[in-house]
Amino acid sequence: MKARLLMGATLVVALFSFTAEASMHWVPAPAVKGHGHAGHGGGHGGGNSRHAGETYLLHGGEGAETQLMSPHLAVKALQPEQGRVSVKAMGTGNYHALVAKRSAGELHESAIRYIYMNGKPSGVSPSLLIGHEKSALEIEPAPLAREHWRYYSGTDAVFVIRYRGEPLAGASMSMTTGNGSSAEFTADATGRVTVPLPQDFTYEKPGRAANPPAEFLLTARHGDDGQRFITTFSYDYHINPQHWQSTELGLAMVGGGMLLGGFMTLRKRRRKEKK
Amino acid sequence: MPVWKNLSVIRKVVQLLAFLFLVYGSVFVGFYSADKISGAFPALACAYDAKTADYCVLIPLQHQLGHGVGRAIGAGTFALSMLLPVLTTLATFLLLFVLLNKAFCGWLCPLGFFQEVLGMIGQKLRLNRTESLDEKVVDRIRPAKWLMLGLLVILFPLASGIGFVGHELGDPFCKICPSRILTSLAAGQLNQLYIDTSSTGYMILSIIADTLFGLILVLSLTMRQPFCRICPMLAMHAIFKKIGLVRLVKNYTPRCDKCGLCAKACPMDIREIHTSKEKDILMPDCTLCGRCVEFCPDKGVMAMKYAVIPIKVSDPQYFKERNRAQKQWEGKQKPSRRVKKD
Ligand code: SF4
Ligand code: SF4
Ligand code: SF4
Repeated sequence: MKARLLMGATLVVALFSFTAEASMHWVPAPAVKGHGHAGHGGGHGGGNSRHAGETYLLHGGEGAETQLMSPHLAVKALQPEQGRVSVKAMGTGNYHALVAKRSAGELHESAIRYIYMNGKPSGVSPSLLIGHEKSALEIEPAPLAREHWRYYSGTDAVFVIRYRGEPLAGASMSMTTGNGSSAEFTADATGRVTVPLPQDFTYEKPGRAANPPAEFLLTARHGDDGQRFITTFSYDYHINPQHWQSTELGLAMVGGGMLLGGFMTLRKRRRKEKK
Repeated sequence: MPVWKNLSVIRKVVQLLAFLFLVYGSVFVGFYSADKISGAFPALACAYDAKTADYCVLIPLQHQLGHGVGRAIGAGTFALSMLLPVLTTLATFLLLFVLLNKAFCGWLCPLGFFQEVLGMIGQKLRLNRTESLDEKVVDRIRPAKWLMLGLLVILFPLASGIGFVGHELGDPFCKICPSRILTSLAAGQLNQLYIDTSSTGYMILSIIADTLFGLILVLSLTMRQPFCRICPMLAMHAIFKKIGLVRLVKNYTPRCDKCGLCAKACPMDIREIHTSKEKDILMPDCTLCGRCVEFCPDKGVMAMKYAVIPIKVSDPQYFKERNRAQKQWEGKQKPSRRVKKD
């Protein structure tokens, strides 16, 4: 129990340590009781939102309009209470988007987060939702780590920055993580940015459950015709399982299996010859 | 025999295209098409492959049983609606299954294709092959697929959801599935080949997975489709085999008693197709590869049909040509050591 409390505490610190000066963005709310937070589920979608009624916080989003978009692009308005929204499955499963938008004068801000919902198979590809223009400036995961891949420290994640639906060449983007790393990036001619997720976890114990995820936050900015646009993409990333998974041992084991196969084949042949 | 007439060659081409699509599909049709196509494919198309276009039914099934049904039972909140995702998965599976029946195995499964290709390499390397397994061995192996389905796909995930067994047994079939290692390696990922040292359970499962993969690599060279014989997908298919549109039929004649060429041609060693006097000879282990029809020398005795439309009917002329093509392909077999001693 103590360990769990401690884990929860470090997690909350990890989740919010970058929020001080960051732009408007979504984070999973720490769980009130029980196990972990919303990002702690099991299998799918980077572990988001396994059950009905997950809560997310919109940071720095006073006065923003918030909505939940289904894989079919159906939109449901959300009513935040003190920056918290509780999202319940809309019946269908698969990836949904949490969208927050706010405009003041020439400044247009948006925050987008994808969450996995359990429910009846939606029958449409998440690419519909991800490719759909939800705000003028947008960071599109290409692809979103899904199902059985997650964002892992020490691996590359690819994003495309789009402005009014088109890739934005040379756009600038920054990253901060809950573990204290930060980096700046510039998109290539096709608007693509490859983000090496930092190896900034302190390795505690073997196993995914023993190593809670942290959040990373991407922020892109763009100015056009006197108008300023800011958008954020946030998601969780996990410690690289290589800490407790050995490829070398795996290869050795395959070799062992091959030897066993060879042995079985020979024995079978000898037996046949004896007959 | 012209290759385009050879059913086995046609099948290989289809298998190759299916392999390309199922392993690298996202390159052609974009990511996430899995969810678009079905999300419940009736063959081992793997969700762990980063380039996949689709994934097999076993993964949502294990997850829904474990995370949904199992957890709900564990928490004492089980409602019938919990079964809905499972039923939807099964329904999507059935939809595709009705269209193609077990032909998923013989025509589309990446792992089945891989094993067959290894077998062909074995043939070319002139390795001493076991064309048919001993009857007793076959009988002993057959129940294994039901155990794989019952225990690894259904019971353990449920028990894990309820909390009886650890989290590692939440999707135990995926943990040992050779298709996971194969397809991810084929897509250039080494990350599915590992020994997991985080707990005894994970360690044992990963040892089983890697050993099994190595075993299949070697056994496939000299034995036909070793993994298929214990594959839970065969069992899963067998449950529903009556509703598929593709059928395998036989018009028994007394000559069948003497011949038995069909059973010899069958990679799954289904001797019943030779001895059975029934019309419907689609057996639980069948992969609908059609070899039995190709190698039946009697006109119209064996047929593969789509509903009532015959796709392939046995024919003496075809048999003759097909047999010759087979001998040509195999070349002169290396005489076994026993023959040499004689
Ligand atoms: S590991 Fe095997 S059972 Fe699991 S999704 Fe991949 S192919 Fe299907
Ligand atoms: S039985 Fe063979 S061909 Fe069929 S799904 Fe299993 S591995 Fe693939
Ligand atoms: S019974 Fe015929 S179609 Fe089925 S696996 Fe055997 S040879 Fe292939």
